[in-house]
Amino acid sequence: MPDNKILEVIGLNKRFGGQHVTKDLDFHLYEGDQAAIIGPNGAGKTTFFNLLTGRHRADSGRVLFDGREIVHLPSHLIARAGMTRAFQVSNIFPRLTALENVRSAVQAQMGRTLDLFSRADRVGAAEADEILRLCRLEQEQNTLAGELSQGDKKKLELALALAGKPKLLLLDEPTAGMSPEETRETMALIDHLNQALGLTVLFTEHDMGVVFNHARRVTLLHRGEKIVEGSPQEVRENETAQRIYLGEQQ
Amino acid sequence: MAWDAKAKRQSGGFYSTLGLSRLFLGCLGLVLLLLPVFPGEFQVVVGAEILIMGLFATSFNLLYGYMGEISFGHSAFFGLGAYTTALFMRAFQGPTGEIGYVPFLFSVFMSIPVSALGALIVGFFCVRLTGIYFAMLSLAFGELLYYIVFSWYSFTKGDDGIQGLMPPHYLQGYTHYYYFALIVVAVTLVLLWRVTNSPFSYVLRMLRENKNRAAFVGVNVRTCMLVNFVVAGAFAGLAGGLWGPFQRSVSPTLLGSMQSATAVFMTLMGGPRFFIGPLVGSAIYTALNAYLTRFTVYWPLTIGSIILIFVLFLPGGILSAVQGWIRASLGHRPKSPARMPAMRE
Repeated sequence: MPDNKILEVIGLNKRFGGQHVTKDLDFHLYEGDQAAIIGPNGAGKTTFFNLLTGRHRADSGRVLFDGREIVHLPSHLIARAGMTRAFQVSNIFPRLTALENVRSAVQAQMGRTLDLFSRADRVGAAEADEILRLCRLEQEQNTLAGELSQGDKKKLELALALAGKPKLLLLDEPTAGMSPEETRETMALIDHLNQALGLTVLFTEHDMGVVFNHARRVTLLHRGEKIVEGSPQEVRENETAQRIYLGEQQ
Repeated sequence: MAWDAKAKRQSGGFYSTLGLSRLFLGCLGLVLLLLPVFPGEFQVVVGAEILIMGLFATSFNLLYGYMGEISFGHSAFFGLGAYTTALFMRAFQGPTGEIGYVPFLFSVFMSIPVSALGALIVGFFCVRLTGIYFAMLSLAFGELLYYIVFSWYSFTKGDDGIQGLMPPHYLQGYTHYYYFALIVVAVTLVLLWRVTNSPFSYVLRMLRENKNRAAFVGVNVRTCMLVNFVVAGAFAGLAGGLWGPFQRSVSPTLLGSMQSATAVFMTLMGGPRFFIGPLVGSAIYTALNAYLTRFTVYWPLTIGSIILIFVLFLPGGILSAVQGWIRASLGHRPKSPARMPAMRE
């Protein structure tokens, strides 16, 4: 087991009005890990990602990323620190081309947002090409993002997250809306990123086939609470997990 | 063919370089340079007005076309620049109203930092909002500045405005002032062209498309919006600085909401998706204003009808239509028509 914790969450709480959507959540992730969060709809998976990336403010608790407290940081600083995310519903820049989408994100990561006089097509272009190639979007690089197919939009979503040179990649249902073929391709890419490039990956997923084949650690959330955590095998055999979630999935 | 190559290379991009092919640029430059050769002074006056208002509208389009926020108070910075130049010129003028070249150029130049500072203060509040709230707050600030200038008689001469802003001797002729404006505006537009192709401008486009996502790829949304607001304000101020000596006077209406609306009209007429759209819009608007008022006293009615026609039938502005025709004649598949006209879905 690698010993370096890249992410450590301690006693995280979030309420929306009367809803207690994240309850005293403890969670950690080792560097190089590939882990999944599962749970029924409304379990708090997306909220958890929103809390990690600064979209929502936690009511209490701590989030240590790479040894640094980030719970109070705004989203753009968390992204620059190396935690990026891909959204469940593709959340892209529709009237820019796929290349411009990725290149602009690369430039933001490079801290060039206030560069008023360089030529945009010459900054970060090589990285952008590389990311498009990795995500198999090079054929579509000059297509407006809004005109891409659903599957390609999800790939672009992933490409945008990769443009941030992440240490930790958060993927919210990375294969939702994809064909089986695209799902296989995308998960192969994610495995490659994790195994060859050492990127730590945390994803949520409803497709248990994907979860049990691609995650080395699985956490089950239910009503904002952590119910079970362990290897895919352990979670699969856990009775509570069976009752709450896995039963209805099969 | 330069057109073809450009069209192909840029075919996917939302922003087109339309009008900046060498051929077009050469023709435009030639027309602008030779404008004073034609007999009469009127077209030179109109030409200078087109250039200065074109610069103003272009600065507005940094906010609207690139960043996707509409400001109804942009004239505040135009007026701030105009008054800055006017007050500096007043301070430098001799007893008979003459002014040296260096003090004059300095007065014009000072419109930039002063309006930038104004934009920094106003922008600090405006960038906290988006959409209609951004528009309303900018309008409120514009009106506020208008009333300050209108009421502060001891400093701004209030409703009377400031008269007698004669440029130095050599620039007093309209042809000479036209060339002066042409040089300043041309240099400024080259600078702005660089800015609109920089990584910063792509940040603005990301903000226009999806502010929320921009934050998650590492963009400090408010800071970038504020910087753009200041840049736009500074160039609007420079346009104002050129305007005062051109008209020989400034008055509070330069800060009024009608002045802001003019920039909006010009941009919409020319095409907000194009760098030179606002300049083209300024040419149409200003020329119509200048020549139609010879035939009719119903100018507001006329321009109102024309704007109506543009909004209904040429919603992407004239350049968008021209681009459509050129692409069609070059045999390019028209990009999905539903997308072309609509600036904002």
